[in-house]
Amino acid sequence: MEIRENIFQALQALKAHKLRSFLTTLGIVIGVTTVITMLSLIQGMNRSVQGQIRSLGSNTFYIQKFPAIRMGRLGEKYRKRKDLTIEDAQAIARLCPAVKKASAYAQEFPVRAKYKGEKTPYISLIGGTPEFLELHQYSLERGRSLTPLDVQHRRAVVVLGADITEDLFPHLDPIGQQVLIKGHRFTVVGTLEPKGNFLGESMDDFVITPITTLMKFYGKRRRSVTIVVEPVSVEATQLAIDQATQVLRRRRGVPYDQPNDFEIMTLDMLMDVYKKLTGSVFGAMVGIAGISLLVGGIGIMNIMLVSVTERTREIGIRKAIGAKRSDILYQFLIEAVTLSGLGGILGIGLGVGIGELVGAISPLPATIPIWSIILGFTFSAAVGIFFGIYPASKAAKLNPIAALRYE
Amino acid sequence: MNFRELWEGVRMAIGSLWMHKVRALLTILGVIIGVMTVITIISLIQGLNRAVSQQVAGLGANVFYLQKYPWFAGRDWFEYRNRKNLTLEDAQAIAQLCPSVKNIAPVLYSGKVIKYKDRSTERVGIWATTPSYQEVRNTTVERGRFFTQTELNHRRQVCIIGRTIVQGLFKDEEPLGSYIRIGGRKFRVVGVQEKKGSMFGNDMDAAVIIPITTFRKLFGTHRSVTILVEAKSGLFEQAKDEVTSLMRRRRQVPPKKPNDFAINTQDTIMNVYKNLTRILFLVMVGISSISLLVGGIGIMNIMLVSVTERTREIGIRKAIGAERKDILLQFLIEALILSGIGGIIGLGLGGGVGKLISAVTPLKATTPLWSIILALGFSSAVGLCFGIWPAAKAARLNPITALRYE
Repeated sequence: MEIRENIFQALQALKAHKLRSFLTTLGIVIGVTTVITMLSLIQGMNRSVQGQIRSLGSNTFYIQKFPAIRMGRLGEKYRKRKDLTIEDAQAIARLCPAVKKASAYAQEFPVRAKYKGEKTPYISLIGGTPEFLELHQYSLERGRSLTPLDVQHRRAVVVLGADITEDLFPHLDPIGQQVLIKGHRFTVVGTLEPKGNFLGESMDDFVITPITTLMKFYGKRRRSVTIVVEPVSVEATQLAIDQATQVLRRRRGVPYDQPNDFEIMTLDMLMDVYKKLTGSVFGAMVGIAGISLLVGGIGIMNIMLVSVTERTREIGIRKAIGAKRSDILYQFLIEAVTLSGLGGILGIGLGVGIGELVGAISPLPATIPIWSIILGFTFSAAVGIFFGIYPASKAAKLNPIAALRYE
Repeated sequence: MNFRELWEGVRMAIGSLWMHKVRALLTILGVIIGVMTVITIISLIQGLNRAVSQQVAGLGANVFYLQKYPWFAGRDWFEYRNRKNLTLEDAQAIAQLCPSVKNIAPVLYSGKVIKYKDRSTERVGIWATTPSYQEVRNTTVERGRFFTQTELNHRRQVCIIGRTIVQGLFKDEEPLGSYIRIGGRKFRVVGVQEKKGSMFGNDMDAAVIIPITTFRKLFGTHRSVTILVEAKSGLFEQAKDEVTSLMRRRRQVPPKKPNDFAINTQDTIMNVYKNLTRILFLVMVGISSISLLVGGIGIMNIMLVSVTERTREIGIRKAIGAERKDILLQFLIEALILSGIGGIIGLGLGGGVGKLISAVTPLKATTPLWSIILALGFSSAVGLCFGIWPAAKAARLNPITALRYE
């Protein structure tokens, strides 16, 4: 079939009515631009949240006494749960072959750190182990991290988050200085590189001390630890979850017919919650943006109908000298698709541009997923076919005699 | 120009649109879809806002909450921990010394488990207050009675319970006169509160009201009192000022320091809600009006086609004496009719979709009057904007070349 000739003809016909073609295409351009811009902004936002969640630790999961995300008040069944302990974490590390590292941490919140005249806002004091910083991908800026000996000897040492260093020691080397936190003196042994914000909350506003020190100074009672577990590999995550569950059920004496009396939270769950919260809003936005594409499609149909009427004589002549129905059909269909396809390409270009622009001037990051480009183009072409088919078939069905006689 | 000319223009426009029915229909369809989307979105947003403000209105229209902490304090909450507690004496002072205050009700709140025989509830809200609570919160008992001033003075262990608790604990038994245990202490049920519904997903009927003196006797006096202040009508701001200056004096806040207490109102909640949703809603309406823009482009396109097609007609009209403005008006009216009809139908459909959504989902849509005016105005503006160029093009045609046009 002479596709090339058809396209050539279509372009000629469009060129004959430049303004009209331009306006028709403009409708599609606006529609596609809107959809692509929305998609790239949404995708960019999702990507950045995902990145931030990943930066909490690659495939680690958390074990806690209470569910991390809860609505309203906790029921009685949660409040009577036993606390998780450091020993639980050690048992998981020792007994689960699929677990690479397991570390317990607890926190004292809120506290204020003081150094001479300077004071921090209310922050949390984390009692952790040397693995805590590795698992959460913090890197050391100065000094040293916590050591197993610090933990063993319950030393009063702290590593400062970047915000705290900024607050207390803006012009001074903090290493070796003593800070006062809730009635106890701690020696600063290290400071951390800043890690930035997560969902608007700073991740650098904490200080960390050995968990044993925290328990010694501020008491063990009513302090359930959180256990961070890193599986040996990404594939072993589920296995590690199962093994850790078993170990904990045994240690906590949960009868076989009872549900777990602790909560396991993976980072995927966090991602799921985010997706659930935002999914329907984002869907609605893209859907509404798509409506303008529909309106643009109606514009194409309308102009194609006009074009068929105008060229009735031309169609008559073509038919008279031997053009078949399918030839006429293709001619007009290709014209419609050319209009919408052109609009699609321009719209994608503009959408990508606007996305980049918004990404450049605002904190919203935009990423243009390749599938959205393909989708945008396919969709606009589909719009052309869908709204072009009626005018095209109307043209194809014309009776050559009546068409030639048409004035 | 007079009315006759205008009418003539309208008749001509309708006639020419009638000649090309499909074309007119499709052009209008674009506008319809655009207007419908905008109206639907606006009605849904409006409905949502209405629902939120109705729930907030449950706090009382002319009432503010004098508290130690502001609502939505977030992290700053810890900064306020060292504030002095508000006391019952503060409440009494407000009642005596603030002339714009109509009524006050001090409230203490705590969560406690309630037991009756072998049945018990989860922790529910215990509201400890005075009899004036009824007027301030505009609540009444459905059966039985509220506790009296005497019971308040004598710290009697009596309570009014909410509907949810009646259902949870008593089933078919008579609650009035029976004894329940609140946090382990025995209370006699003297009334059942009328149904309050839920506020932001919290069941307001899972509540118990007891005398504030009894609460302090049994559960301690360390809590800060929340003081509900009802202003005399029209004197809301004045009452707020009076209470603020009185409290500053009582709490000895130095002149240049900020208040060390918080006055919370319905607006506090509404502002937070609006801040959270404003941008999202604006984006939604913005995106939906893009389809209206695309519809407008469709009108312009078709009008241009129509001008080209009718070049000869324009030539003839001009030759027999039509002025520029007559031609301009003719085509402008045509464009306006297209967009106007689209706007009206779109409005109807948008309202319908809103109604439909309210019928099948819990979301309640309301179409505000301003959105109707906005939609009609906007769609006419679209017709005017996108119609003016084709109309001007037609009006500028030279009659001689127009007549020669084939």
